[in-house]
Amino acid sequence: MTGITAYKCNKCGLVMYPKHFRCLKCKGREFEEIEPAGDAKLLTYTVVDQLPWGMDERGRVLGIVEFANGVKATGLVKADDPKLGMKLKAEWGPVRVVGGEPAYGLTLIPKK
Amino acid sequence: MDMEVESYLRPPEIEKPPYPAKVVTLATGGKMVVRQVDRDAVPTLLRAIKPTVEIARDYYDVVGARLYAELIGWYRYRVRDEFCLVGQIDGLLVGIVNSRSYSPHTDISLHTLAIERGLRIGAHLFASKMEYSIEYLGRDEVLITAESPIGFRRWMIEYGLEKREGQHELGGATPYALTREMYFKNKARLVAGERPVPKEIMEIAEREIKIASERDIREKILGAAREIQ
Amino acid sequence: MRPVVIAGVGMIPFERTEEGGLVEMLATAGLNALVDAGVDDRPVDAVYLGNMASGLFNHQEAVASALVDSLALMPAAAERVENGPASGGSAIKNGFLAVASGFSDIVLVVGGEKMREVIGPKATDIVATMTHPMAEYVYGVTLPAQAGMFARLYMTKYGITRHHLAQVAIKNQNNGLLNPYAHIQMKITEEGILTHPQAHINNPVVADPLYLYDCCPVSDGAAAVLLTTPEIAKALKKPQVIIAGVGQATDTHALQEREDPTDLKAVTLAAKKAFEMAGAQPKDIDVAELHDAFTILEIAESEHAGFFKKGEGAQALDAGVTQIGGKLPINPSGGLKARGHPVGATGVAQIVELVWQLRGTAGKRQVKEAQTGFSLNFGGFGNNVLAFVVRREA
Repeated sequence: MTGITAYKCNKCGLVMYPKHFRCLKCKGREFEEIEPAGDAKLLTYTVVDQLPWGMDERGRVLGIVEFANGVKATGLVKADDPKLGMKLKAEWGPVRVVGGEPAYGLTLIPKK
Repeated sequence: MDMEVESYLRPPEIEKPPYPAKVVTLATGGKMVVRQVDRDAVPTLLRAIKPTVEIARDYYDVVGARLYAELIGWYRYRVRDEFCLVGQIDGLLVGIVNSRSYSPHTDISLHTLAIERGLRIGAHLFASKMEYSIEYLGRDEVLITAESPIGFRRWMIEYGLEKREGQHELGGATPYALTREMYFKNKARLVAGERPVPKEIMEIAEREIKIASERDIREKILGAAREIQ
Repeated sequence: MRPVVIAGVGMIPFERTEEGGLVEMLATAGLNALVDAGVDDRPVDAVYLGNMASGLFNHQEAVASALVDSLALMPAAAERVENGPASGGSAIKNGFLAVASGFSDIVLVVGGEKMREVIGPKATDIVATMTHPMAEYVYGVTLPAQAGMFARLYMTKYGITRHHLAQVAIKNQNNGLLNPYAHIQMKITEEGILTHPQAHINNPVVADPLYLYDCCPVSDGAAAVLLTTPEIAKALKKPQVIIAGVGQATDTHALQEREDPTDLKAVTLAAKKAFEMAGAQPKDIDVAELHDAFTILEIAESEHAGFFKKGEGAQALDAGVTQIGGKLPINPSGGLKARGHPVGATGVAQIVELVWQLRGTAGKRQVKEAQTGFSLNFGGFGNNVLAFVVRREA
């Protein structure tokens, strides 16, 4: 389970994440809720050493992935040696602590 | 001087292997020599520290006044096991750091004063005194505190230091510690410098510790007045 | 629409200010523009203030009202215009529309931000609130992180190397040394930030492949322009530097939704609109101020705005084309990289620099015989972009 919901336009089929009130392509207003499915391919990434206040870590890998069913999303990549195009498996996990509580999001683990 | 009384007042001193000088290449391409100085250098260093005592920006006054006192204390044999490293570019003094040894296991980091700004000189010199304590004196840890937000960012955040119970010798905020393990983990990222220092560069550094004028020191710290069009 | 003349410009040096709050900074820049235009005795109809986040940075809102009060401009209309790091450009656009439409005759536009009231990581966080809350921000995405993800793809696709990025930083910091208003007054070398084996210690990773010297500093600053009609400008005996073209375009909020993440569509469209309105082409531009919040952006924007073909911006840079004295000087002011990037001030500061260049009063960084200038103010990560063409009329 990835924990995120993407939206597929009923009229033109465009897959969007996050949510929009109107389709980015055809302005349609009806969508099918879909889950990202299949392997995630790493489209781009960065390794961040200067994080915002409250995130005391370095070397945090953030990346944009595309799932086999067309959903594109940003997530926390848990790979020591990220490579463009690498295949990742998505999970729903803690990505940040907000007000002492964990906030959840998309975590991406290299596929063995 | 009554040397009998003096002998009671002078703290004993632990023998320390010297800090081998190194040269750091800065973002400007400039070469900063980092080297240890002995007591004799103190009167010269005080000339550079004096103008900072009146600069409130970034707590230069607090750091400057305390460093001034610590160095006089060391010069006149009233501080135990203190050491001092300086940074020089073409002989000119650009920064001073000092610490003192508390035990064979622990050193206490005292102050970091950067006279030239914007070039990580304070960060390079701070890293150098950690290098001395951990690598050359073999300490297990160095106790650290910060008096300015810049210091806080440079030491606590960049090294990811551990909080410690009790008080730092300077009596300020919560003490933190840099452990041997933490030092080596961060060394490649934070500790610069090449050895040996090329002879001609070392000669210039050792010949004279040049001190900028009071006005120049103020300008370096506060920024030069700008000629606006 | 009526032609709109930039009759007065003013700035304060960008730096980390020690004394005075945000409103004092804005008022000083605004007063400098009023004095430069010589409109002391004429009523100002409206004030537009470009500011991104005075609430978060300075715990103060309704700053435009405070500004008119400070400058004794009542009963002038006043409002703050917020468009992220393009707030300044948006404020100018609003001022332009007010004069062009005939609604106002004299408009003061001020842009400013006081960011150094908070520590660096907090400023990073405040700026990062621009990203999509659930799809980006929660992961720790910052503006440098977005730029890092963009840079990785752009560099790979077009063969741009860290050498090229360093050339942008070196050029703009050299230009900054010629600009007394620039925050960063320091010459850097490729050895010190890139080629020396220990250069990574001076120039640490911010968001790989972007390093410290690829990023603009966090600065305090303010800049202002006075906009009016050609008739009033003539009566004030000011040079006729007009806003000849304005363009604005937006793109998706989340970076991941761009069909081609290396395509800065909003830059292309905003520039195209500004050129069309001005009846000009990229080849007509004598000097450009681009939004180099990150070194990669100067190269990418120079291509997207139409000055160079895609993939040729880096060669132009290497060949010296974008140096002062080159065929198309880019960021003679030092750009965001050296002048600094007080977010709400930048779009206005870019126009101030162009006016100085077109008036021939830019001092040591003067671009010879500059008649037409271009500026690009990049909001968000390219999701709300403004472009301007300004021209000196005979």
